[in-house]
Formats: sequence, C-alpha cells, structure tokens
Amino acid sequence: MSKIAIVTDSNSGITQKEAKELGIYVLPMPFMIGNELYYEDINLTQEQFYEKLLGGENISTSQPSPEEVCKLWDSLLKEYDEIVHIPMSSGLSGSCQSALMLAQDYDGRVQVVDNQRISVTQRRSCQDALELAASGLDAKAIKDFLVKDKFNSSIYIMLDTLQYLKKGGRITPAAAAIGTLLKLKPVLQIQGEKLDAFSKARTTSQGKAVMIGAIKNDVETRFGGILPAPGGVWLQIAHTHNEEAALALKEELLEVFPGYDIYIAPLSLSVSCHIGPGSLAIACCKKISY
Amino acid sequence: MSYQEIDAKMLSKMFLAGAKNLESKKEYINELNVFPVPDGDTGTNMTMTILSAAKEVTALGENPSMEDLCKAISSGSLRGARGNSGVILSQLFRGLTKVIKPYHSLNVAVISESCEKAVETAYKAVMKPKEGTILTVAKGISDKAKELASEGVTDLEVFMEKVLEHGKYVLSQTPELLPVLKQAGVVDSGGQGLIEVISGAYDALLGKEIDYSSLEQESDAGQKPVAEAPEEAEIKFGYCTEFLILLNKNFNIKTEMDFKAYLESIGDSIVCVCDGETVKIHVHTNDPGLALQKGLKFGQLSNIKIDNMRLEHEERVQKAAEKSVEKPIEKEEPKQPPKKVGFIAISAGDGLSEIFKSIGVDYVIEGGQTMNPSTADILDAVDRVNAENVFILPNNKNIILAARQAAELMTDKNLLVIPTKTIPQGITAVINYMDGSSVDENEEVMISEIAKVKTGQVTYAVRDTVIDDKEIKKDDYMGVGDNGILANGKDLTEVVLETVAAMADEDSELISVYYGSDVSEEDAEAIRERIADAWPNLDVELQNGGQPIYYYLVSVE
Repeated sequence: MSKIAIVTDSNSGITQKEAKELGIYVLPMPFMIGNELYYEDINLTQEQFYEKLLGGENISTSQPSPEEVCKLWDSLLKEYDEIVHIPMSSGLSGSCQSALMLAQDYDGRVQVVDNQRISVTQRRSCQDALELAASGLDAKAIKDFLVKDKFNSSIYIMLDTLQYLKKGGRITPAAAAIGTLLKLKPVLQIQGEKLDAFSKARTTSQGKAVMIGAIKNDVETRFGGILPAPGGVWLQIAHTHNEEAALALKEELLEVFPGYDIYIAPLSLSVSCHIGPGSLAIACCKKISY
Repeated sequence: MSYQEIDAKMLSKMFLAGAKNLESKKEYINELNVFPVPDGDTGTNMTMTILSAAKEVTALGENPSMEDLCKAISSGSLRGARGNSGVILSQLFRGLTKVIKPYHSLNVAVISESCEKAVETAYKAVMKPKEGTILTVAKGISDKAKELASEGVTDLEVFMEKVLEHGKYVLSQTPELLPVLKQAGVVDSGGQGLIEVISGAYDALLGKEIDYSSLEQESDAGQKPVAEAPEEAEIKFGYCTEFLILLNKNFNIKTEMDFKAYLESIGDSIVCVCDGETVKIHVHTNDPGLALQKGLKFGQLSNIKIDNMRLEHEERVQKAAEKSVEKPIEKEEPKQPPKKVGFIAISAGDGLSEIFKSIGVDYVIEGGQTMNPSTADILDAVDRVNAENVFILPNNKNIILAARQAAELMTDKNLLVIPTKTIPQGITAVINYMDGSSVDENEEVMISEIAKVKTGQVTYAVRDTVIDDKEIKKDDYMGVGDNGILANGKDLTEVVLETVAAMADEDSELISVYYGSDVSEEDAEAIRERIADAWPNLDVELQNGGQPIYYYLVSVE
C-alpha cells in the first residue's frame, strides 16, 4: 500500500493547526492588500482580514505560486509515494488549472482533483480522501472517486450585500443583475463550476428559509432523503464574519435535520473578499460509500 | 303600449339606454366609496365596462340579430371589464346572454331564466362572494323575476317595473348586510350601478326619449375611427360641451324651455334633460363658457367634458394616416423563441415601475388606484411579453378579478394571477420567484410569501366618515392597512409613524417606505429618520415610488 499525502489550499478552511492534527498539508492562499503580500493563516488572521476589508482596502487574491506548489510537493514526495492534491474549484480560480499543468512533470505521482469544491465541501473532500487512502486506494483511484462524486454536494450562500460581488466578477451575469434598486439579500448557489443566482430575499429570515428549503429539497431528491441521525449527508454551515448568526442558523437547521452533527466554519478568505462580511451559507455533501 | 315580448332591436335600445344612464350617474356612484380614499371609481369602472360593450352594440346598427347582439354585449363587456364591479357586471351579461342568444324575442319566462343564469355566472366568478354587494342586488332581482314569472305576469312593463322596484329595495338593504356600508352611510356602489343600468333599460322600454349621441361618439372614436371619420364638411360650432347640473334650484318645464332657448342661441345639437335632481346638458357651441355659466345658476356642475371637435377631426385624420404607417412596425422584430416565464405588474408611478423592472418584471401596466386596467389592457400587455407562462401581479384588490378574467380569456399563453393586493406584496412575489423551480412551485411559494407582507398606505380622506369606529374628517391623513384603517390624524408624519407602529412586531426585520409623487425627497428622508429612530433594530429602506394619491406606501416584513 502506497503512502499518500493529501494536499489542499487554505480555501478548504482547514487551518495550519488543524492540518497537523488531520495529517493534511495546506497551501496558504496569497493576498495582496495594498501593496503587501499576505498568506492566509500564516501572517493574516480572519480578524485582520476583515479589519482591512471593512476599512475599504483594496484586496486582491491570487493563486499559490508554482514555486510554492512545487516546493511543497517535492518535499512531500521525499516522505510519501504519491500526492492527492485538492485545490479550490476550477470555476472560481486558476489554481486547479495551474496544478494540473505542474503535475504533468510528476509522472502520475501527483493526482490533482478537479471536483469543483470550495470551503466546507472542499474540506469534506480532503477528509474523504484521507478515508479512501486509509482504505487502501492509490492516488489515481482516490482522484477518480472524488471527481465522480463531485456533484454530490451543494452550497447555498446568502449575502448581506451585493457591493463586494459586483467588484469581483466571479459570478454569472444573472447573479450580478439582481437587485439594483432594492436592497436585496441574494441567495447564491454553488453547484459545479460557478457561483450563480438561486433566489433572493428581502430579509435574513426569508433568506434562511430559502436556503433551508433548498438544502432539504436537495437531500430529499438527490442525496437519498432525510435519514435518522447521523444521516446520509454531512451538513455544514459557513459564514463570513458572522458567527453568532451561524450558530442561530444551526438551531434552525437542526429542526429539519434533528440530531445531525453540523459543522460550522468561517468561509475561506478568498471567497470572503468577493462576497463581503455578513453572509451565511449552508452546504451538504453526500457521505461516500466505497 | 304594452309588450309581451321584446325583440333584438328593442333589447339593443334598452342596453344602450342602460349604458347611457349608468354613464350619467358615474360620478355619483364613484362617491359611494366606503373608504373615503380618493380612489372611488366604481362608477367609472362599471361605465367603462358597459361602454366597451355599447361600442360593439352600436357597431351592429339598429337591426341586429339576437345572436350578434348577445355576442357584442358579452365579449365587449368581458374585454372592457375593469375593477371588481365591472368584472361582475360583465359576468352578469355573460350569463344573461348565454340564455337569450337562441331566441328571436324574449318574454318574461326567458328573461327570468336568463337573470337566474346571470346571477349564477357572476357568483362563480368571485372567489368569496360577499353579500351586501352588487351580487346581492342581482340575486334579489333574479328572485323577483322568477317569482313574477311563476305568478303568470306576462306584461313586460309591469314585470320590469316590479323587478326594478324590488332591486331598489334590495339595494337600500345592503347597509344592513355589510356593516362597513352602514357606518359610512352609503349603499353599495356596484349595486347602485346595476340599478342605473336597469332603470335606463326600463326607460327605453317605456319609450322615453334617450339621448344616445355621446354613445355614438364614443363608438366613432374607438371602434371605427378611419372608416367613419366625419366628412370634410366645415364644423360650424367647434366645442362639444357636456355637463351635469346637480340642481339646488327648482328646474321646471318653464326653466327647461328657457335654458334650451338660450343654448339654441349659442349653438346646436342641444340636449337638456332633467331627472329631478340633475340636468344633463349637451351642446355644440363656439363658447362653452357661456353654457357653463348658465348652468351654474342652477347648481353645481359635474362631469364637465369639452372637446374641440375641429382639432379632434384633424387628429383623427392624422391618426388614421399614422396608423397605416405604424402598424407594420408594431408587428415587432422577428420573434425570438419565447422564454419560459415572464412577469407583468400593474403599478402607478415612475419609481415603482423602475423597481419592478429592476427585479425582473417584463412589462408594467400603468394603473392602479385611480385607473384600473381592463381585461383587454391586461391581455394587450400579455401580448407584449414573449413567454410561455406569464405571472400577473395586480397589486390592487380591485384589479385581481379583471386579471383572472384575462387569464380565462387567454388561450395561447399560460397566465397565472398572483393575487397581490398591494405594491409591496407584488415586489415580494417577484423577489421570491426562483428560476430553477417549476411554474407551479413558484406560484405556490409566491402566494404563501405575499401573505407575510404587511402594507400600510397613507393618503387623505375625501369626506367625513366613520370606519372601524374611527371618526375621520375630510382631508385628514389616513393609514390604510390590509384590513382597515390603521391611523388617522392631521399630521402626516404622525400618521405614518402610527401606521408603522400598527404593523411592526417582534418578528419584523425590514420596513420599506415608498414615497409618492406629492412628497419631496427631504420630507421623505426626514420620515425615514423618524422611523429609524423609533425602530432602531429594524432596517429601514426608503425608495422613490413616485405613486400618485398615496403619499407613502409602507411595508413591514
């Protein structure tokens, strides 16, 4: 059985500390703030990030440099036989594309997973990969499994404002067009490639109801129904600078999915800088079976 | 002369006389509105509904077949139907004509049967029929007709006299059935309208002189403007002048003769008819002012309508020319494949139209409080929206029925009426539309979401009244909620704040304020601040609605 390293980027929401505990390697995403380069969770905390974002600083994201990626892979391959690399969704960043290109020089020892996950669902993929590796699959088999499984997840995000999204450009025109005059809380969906408009609400409670309804519908129609806890899906809540509301949302979600273990995490910063603070997201991933 | 039967010719005359009589009482009926808001337009709506049918009836000429006549009455009124009473009136005609269509002439038995069918049809058209309304009056008339028929009455004059008398009695009892009428001290306006139609028809049966001239004019303008454009002959008197005098002085035969003589001295085409309380004047003259001044000596004037016939004539010729050019262009660019879902909203005011368009509404029909669009207006709008399914947001409780009627008449598109009663409900409905879901699911979601929006509409009272035990004085400001008056008083800001207070509770999150065309941005901003101060935990959003009549529309959700 080959020794496999699981690599992801900080978009998975897996912190450096957590990574050590799980046995996962996390590439920090770089941020340009003003004229300075920062790395998520290395020299930039969530608090510092929001302070700068709310302060109106110009924040741009980029992908990990090829040099950084190769350096990590090279050092890992001294210790491991193979690498499964799970970058953020190819629909939202060029990271995956670059990694696929770089991996061509590694004779199949690095398998890049293009399964279009982000944040809590990307994190879940990493955990699934660990599980699959432990069960004896090799890197290629793990990659194939995860790619086949890519649509078995769903994310709905309710934004507090459209202001940041308009600046970004990582959404479809349909999503950008909604709510020009009225103050609306758009509910976006990440399904496969892109962030797209799903619905809209005028108030937080309407938006939460829309998301809970949508997740319930996904679970009932696509992921095998609402089974008694622990259930057949992983449920997650993510938020941008909005923990209190996330905790309240958990209580509401538990009414529909009683007894489920619901994981809450802040959204990774490269998503946050596009959607701004105050957002809430509900995600679910179908539990894998192999 | 007494009749056992009436033929199509007589029925046509009676129908037009009924329409005419309703038109002349239009303003009076408008004022019977329960809520003293400046939107009382039952009379206008019913009149426009019946005139739409009258147009088609006049187009048939003096000797129509019963079948053509019935078709004209039924389809004309269905398409022209506006407002709830208008729609109900159109449904009464629809039921009535269904029964009489196969006959050449009508006797008491047939008429009684047709009345029964009319009532049945109208009741079906209304989701929750309410007693104390036009429906009750129609029902009373039908019951009386049946009773007379079974008693063996065959003389139609006697029959109609009795029926009308009973109808008036039922009308007088409507306040006993609807407490709001009683408090406001009025009878039901739609019922009054129906009685006017029947009175006019009865007059025609009795052979009374009826002036159909204005009806014919309407039909000229609407139905066949090109073919029947008045001949090039010079127009001697330039202004068609019409008005009613609401008498406060005695107007006897002698004064009537004097008045007519005076009118003859200043023009021609004179009509001067008195019915005891009002005098109807019609004259073509070069100085309308003289006619009005003369009228003022006998009372207040109403329904003043002065048209420049020379200009109108030119316009008509011009329009005919333009139309022949315009038509092909109007046929639209090559049709793109229809999209799945479209939206039509009915709303008044630039700001509100913009808001509706910004959230995805394809077409906004200008209308609402002061001008209810007809079934035909709605159908026209539907034609402009290239979609398989079209959601219609009436945004006014008085337009929902006309929209439903349009949905029934529409054959090539699926129309879905979301029964929004206010503008904020309409906005909420559109916002809750989800692209991925089916049309049925969306309809269900929208209907359930609009129930969660509370709306308050702030306007002024047009007369003194008592509603919900609140005494309201003319020109007071009032906040009208979904189920009655929420606030009233002399201070606009206070009334707005009280209106909000009546709607907000611990579950509320957002207060939206749409200010109307009569409110300045500064005043609106000041109100927004007052609301934000009073409800610090709620979001307050201010938008320029630009709507007429309502200073503020406020919603809480």
